[in-house]
Amino acid sequence: MSETKVKPVRKKMNRAEFKEHCWGLAFVSPPFIGFLIFMAFPIAFAFVASLTKWNGMNDMMANFVGAENYIKLLGDEKFWKVLLNTVIYMIGIPIGMILALVIAVGMNRKIRGIKVLRTLYYVPVVSSLVAVAILWMWVFNYDYGLLNSIIKALTGAHGPNWLGDEFWVKVSIIIFMVWKGLGGSIILYLSGLQSIPRDYYEAAKIDGASGFNLFRHITIPLVSPVTFYLLITGLIGGFQVFVEVLVMVPTGGLNYSAATVVFYLYDKAFGNNQMGYGSAMAFILAILIFIVTAINFKVQDKWVKTIE
Amino acid sequence: MKMKRIISAGVAAAMLSSVILAGCGGSDSGEAEDGRKNLSVFIFANDHESAVYEDMIAKFEEDHKDTIANVDIQITTQEEYSKTLTGMMTAGDLPDVFYVGPESVEQFVENGYIANLQPILDEKGISTDGLVAQEALDSYRYDGEKAGSGDLYALPKDASVFAYAYNKDMFDEAGIPYPDPENPYTYEEFVEICEQFTKDTDGDGETDQWGCGMANAFMLQPFVWSNGAAYLSDDYKTVNIDTPEFKEALQKYVDLTLEYEVTPTVEQDASLGVYQRWLAGQEAFYACGTWDVAAFMDDETFPFEWDLCAYPTLSSGKTMTWLGTVGFCVSANSNNQEEATELISYLCTDEDGQKELSGITGGQSIQLPNIKSLAEGEFVTAIEDGTLAFPSNVDVFFNYLNGTDKYEGRFQETTYTPNAEWHDIFLEGLDNVKNGSMTVDEYIEQVQPQMQESLDEAWESVE
Repeated sequence: MSETKVKPVRKKMNRAEFKEHCWGLAFVSPPFIGFLIFMAFPIAFAFVASLTKWNGMNDMMANFVGAENYIKLLGDEKFWKVLLNTVIYMIGIPIGMILALVIAVGMNRKIRGIKVLRTLYYVPVVSSLVAVAILWMWVFNYDYGLLNSIIKALTGAHGPNWLGDEFWVKVSIIIFMVWKGLGGSIILYLSGLQSIPRDYYEAAKIDGASGFNLFRHITIPLVSPVTFYLLITGLIGGFQVFVEVLVMVPTGGLNYSAATVVFYLYDKAFGNNQMGYGSAMAFILAILIFIVTAINFKVQDKWVKTIE
Repeated sequence: MKMKRIISAGVAAAMLSSVILAGCGGSDSGEAEDGRKNLSVFIFANDHESAVYEDMIAKFEEDHKDTIANVDIQITTQEEYSKTLTGMMTAGDLPDVFYVGPESVEQFVENGYIANLQPILDEKGISTDGLVAQEALDSYRYDGEKAGSGDLYALPKDASVFAYAYNKDMFDEAGIPYPDPENPYTYEEFVEICEQFTKDTDGDGETDQWGCGMANAFMLQPFVWSNGAAYLSDDYKTVNIDTPEFKEALQKYVDLTLEYEVTPTVEQDASLGVYQRWLAGQEAFYACGTWDVAAFMDDETFPFEWDLCAYPTLSSGKTMTWLGTVGFCVSANSNNQEEATELISYLCTDEDGQKELSGITGGQSIQLPNIKSLAEGEFVTAIEDGTLAFPSNVDVFFNYLNGTDKYEGRFQETTYTPNAEWHDIFLEGLDNVKNGSMTVDEYIEQVQPQMQESLDEAWESVE
């Protein structure tokens, strides 16, 4: 590298500067090349594939169909069904945030064993998604599950067929996702709570504010950056839900009632060799995520407050 | 200026990456330095099978050390196999030898992935007459228009049968005579027997023992076919489930659950699958594939005496089930097609290997022997003298495989369609019929157009 014979491109650049330039490029090249190979190329490849009837075996370019996959997708009832399922699962996002904030407020004080408690809530976050999903399959089991055993003990009646019913399967997956994500949200809310200066509360108390008012007018606005972050990551992750469904309801549920967009995409691309159609679905999904995220950033000024 | 920097960085990156990518695909190791050939093999297998194949390949290398330098075998799981193979195809980097199912032969040939073995087999004088299941063999033929006849493009590594089985201990306890494989039950007889087994054994008011358990994805076909019906038309392009024969078969199938209540309900099936219930001794009848035998003979998995029997017969009077097979093929781009063909013929027909795989040597049985003489000779002897732990009604397997006046085996209809989505769609809402919330007519009316649409698309995708 030091004995490079390439002429400097710019007249003004002397040998030492050029050398420095080369070194600079050398240092940034690994991530840049990594990006090209592992991100840019697959994205471009998938986009081209989405314009074809590639099935993994045939000649991709010989089966070029233009926008046909996209047009077909918009008229595909099953696509709208799985998109609706995916959106329904997002009900879990606000539920998770409210629960997390309430628990975080409860844990934001000196109690004996608080560290143990915080750790316990965090365990699901660091556990393998597949492992805990299998565990929850047993919780939701119709005859032998924990939930139905409790329901039976309390009411005497048999609980629902959680994973086998078109309605309850959605409830089951929402419960699971809230449980799985709770620990992470609590930690973030805790750090948010701890960064609120004490004197805000003291000043408000002197003015006679009640506990609820403190929470409503100080805590909630000042943890809004955390709420915003959770909302964005929750929505992006929510559009991509897949493993939960694949593990807990591998067939997609009765009448495909549990399937998500990514599940359908996977089914099409890898189950039925419709790679082109699957790629088109992936692009539509990416565009949807982009739009929702952009809207979120646009309206954040209206409700996200930062501590000045 | 800024632009220039970006461009130069881009060019540098592109050059570097092309060097890296060239490194991936550039090495062709078909030939060793001394002129002997190298072969690569990619298959899926379980542990026992892997060990047998590795031994067979080591032996092949030893026997052919004049011409073969090295055989590199890569083994994966069945779930991972097709994804990895698609990746290899896309990268244009197929191994010399890999697996193909009959459903893919046509597409693999048409897209130029697999070699025609016929000229090599003819030239080398390799005969396939001794293979046990000629129907499985024929499924790897393709004549340029349709599969089933013409030149061979693969050799079957096995032929499997999805037969029926009964729990002997439960029959003994109930004092009911064992099923006679020579005279399969009619549907009515089957229901009557099943009703005797279905009861509440612990007195808690809930049924906990059943006549049988039915898994929709695998066990409806015997009913449909035995009633003279089929899911698809003869050319596999039209969904034919609205025929009276099909509807009657489906009605009889769901009646086992709804009307006669001799199977677990949909909810009970959700709590504990019908397969687990069979293993737990809660069902008198269940299916047994050739690949299940080793597990069912193992007391830890299945602590009951059992034997094979036939599925009940419907209006055609014939007991039917489906067959399966996987074959070895040779890559069309392989530089060593002759050597590769020799290898696969060896893997399919080597006696020692087949004895290991079928359990004649006393190990686990994971498949029927692939060679007719072994299947009819040593295999049967090994069962009779107890070397091989195997149910005594082994003929049930061979009857389905070879066909008799009472038995017939067929490949699943998804074997002949470009993908199986039409069948998945059929299964998606079937439990609604099984739990009584929809009638057979309503369901078929609803699901048939969706299946047809999917099937049309599938055919369109390969045209």
